[in-house]
Amino acid sequence: MARRKPAGRRPQRYKDVTHRRTGRGDAFRCVGCRLDVPLLAPGTAHRNHCPHCLTSLHLDRRVPGDRAADCRGRMSVLSMSVRADGEWQLIHQCQSCGVLGANRIAGDDNPLALIRLAMRPLTDPTRPIRALLTL
Amino acid sequence: MSTANHNSGRQHTVPPRTDTFDCVRCGLTVTTVDPAGGRRNHCPSCLHSRHVLDRVEGGPSECLARMSPISIAVLRSGDWMVVHRCILCDELTSNAIAPDDNQLILIRMAVRPLAHPPFPLEVFGEW
Repeated sequence: MARRKPAGRRPQRYKDVTHRRTGRGDAFRCVGCRLDVPLLAPGTAHRNHCPHCLTSLHLDRRVPGDRAADCRGRMSVLSMSVRADGEWQLIHQCQSCGVLGANRIAGDDNPLALIRLAMRPLTDPTRPIRALLTL
Repeated sequence: MSTANHNSGRQHTVPPRTDTFDCVRCGLTVTTVDPAGGRRNHCPSCLHSRHVLDRVEGGPSECLARMSPISIAVLRSGDWMVVHRCILCDELTSNAIAPDDNQLILIRMAVRPLAHPPFPLEVFGEW
């Protein structure tokens, strides 16, 4: 693979949905733990999940903020992914229609929930040993 | 007459076990049936896949680009899934792993978050 020069910080996508105009205020309530979550988050402009239980809601289809999905199902967190620049990303799966979505973690997400999610594949007792035996 | 009997006995209600596809990344020729009997959709050597099904709209996709593995998901049953992401249209899919998938790439994806922690991990040693 070609080694590229590391290009600074990746810019965030432009978000043209204003929550104030739709009358929802500047907070949302988590469907998993009923926590009132402010939309302003450190480190991200696209907060879509609860910082306590990491649960999200299926509102957007392709572009964050388009509100084009009419599913409105609960999206529970499925796994943890890492971008090429080392930023963590949550993979959510909708519990009612099964679609997947990715979102960057925010600065105030629960570190214990994030670590438990990232450690979930490694708690399997058999598979890391099988990987070592293939060396 | 013997030819007709021969043909009628070879009706494929299930796809034949000798179907193959070529990996779009490494070029490996792979059988579509894995050793456990399930159908596979990613290369067992490099775990890359191809975007042929559209999950959001439904039906076949006209994207046909390469899908790279980005994450490992563990189901409640303990089975592992590979989450793929299309490099062209950024769609996500998840697929079950096959028994002969490359274990080193699987483990490398599993430990990748811990290699780039966004916060110091030392505080968790005291809990």
